[in-house]
Amino acid sequence: MSLFEWCQWLQHTHFATAIAESDWLFPLIEGSHILALPMSVGMVLILDLRLLGLAFCGGPAAKLVNNLLRWSRIGFVVMFLTGGLLLITQAGKAYGNAFFRAKLIFLLLLGINAAVYQILFYPKMAQWDSARGAPAGAKFCAGFSLVLWIGVIVCGRTMAYQF
Amino acid sequence: MSLLSVLQSCSNWAPVALIRDSKYGMPAVQSFHLMGLTVLLTTVLVLDLRLTGLGRRDYGLSWLARQLKPWTLGAIAVMISSGSLIFLATPGKYLDSHPFRLKMALLSLALLFHFSVLRRFTAADSSMRPRPADVIVACLSLTFWFGVGWAGRAIAFVP
Repeated sequence: MSLFEWCQWLQHTHFATAIAESDWLFPLIEGSHILALPMSVGMVLILDLRLLGLAFCGGPAAKLVNNLLRWSRIGFVVMFLTGGLLLITQAGKAYGNAFFRAKLIFLLLLGINAAVYQILFYPKMAQWDSARGAPAGAKFCAGFSLVLWIGVIVCGRTMAYQF
Repeated sequence: MSLLSVLQSCSNWAPVALIRDSKYGMPAVQSFHLMGLTVLLTTVLVLDLRLTGLGRRDYGLSWLARQLKPWTLGAIAVMISSGSLIFLATPGKYLDSHPFRLKMALLSLALLFHFSVLRRFTAADSSMRPRPADVIVACLSLTFWFGVGWAGRAIAFVP
């Protein structure tokens, strides 16, 4: 069975059609997916802007990061759960969609970017935090994240127009 | 001239028609609306969490409010301009929609509450633990703003 056939099968399972045909379940899941944006992506954007020196300057970034990322973990759990459910109900249509594919690639790159930041820059954050500002590499990660998250939102919104 | 005919002529105005009829016009405007939503609700969430005492307490409340303010105002500007474009592109879709009316009512309430009550509650720092009134104000603020979001989403599903 090819991946496409599997997506088609997934979309037509009893579980998927029950969600898709429910008057309230699909809107509830879709609404939750969108309104979890502030608690997930929004918190990451604050961190990005702080690292780039565009907002929240004057306070130590390390404390800010710890506080915000604690909330964003909850937000991202909601995002992946609701996103997974939405995908199941539309898997066959999403499979060939260019915007959906771009969104997945952006998310993959964001994961790699976050891992790079976590390994290379996060451990030494206390050292450069109170000094002049983030090192160039950390700023690059922040800018990359900012641009890719905008891409994720744009692709996510646009793909729905093509279903 | 009735309201509807005024809106119809706005809707036929070339820039609006171009956005409505081009392939990626509406997705682009909707994307701006969604990015505005993300920034606006993030600033609201961070401020309200801090007000309830659940959020970061290693920063002063008034400092946080001052830092967030330009982003809140900018996001509101983006939301209102993109929202107006979405409305003007197909006014007929929204005029009779119940969730749209609810959304506008909640939006007025949220804006009023934000720039009167919430502003007062976040203007001064207190080293004390949050008072019950702080928690109530934060919960009301979150209810109004996220209510606007839910009502907006309901436009697509409820007549």
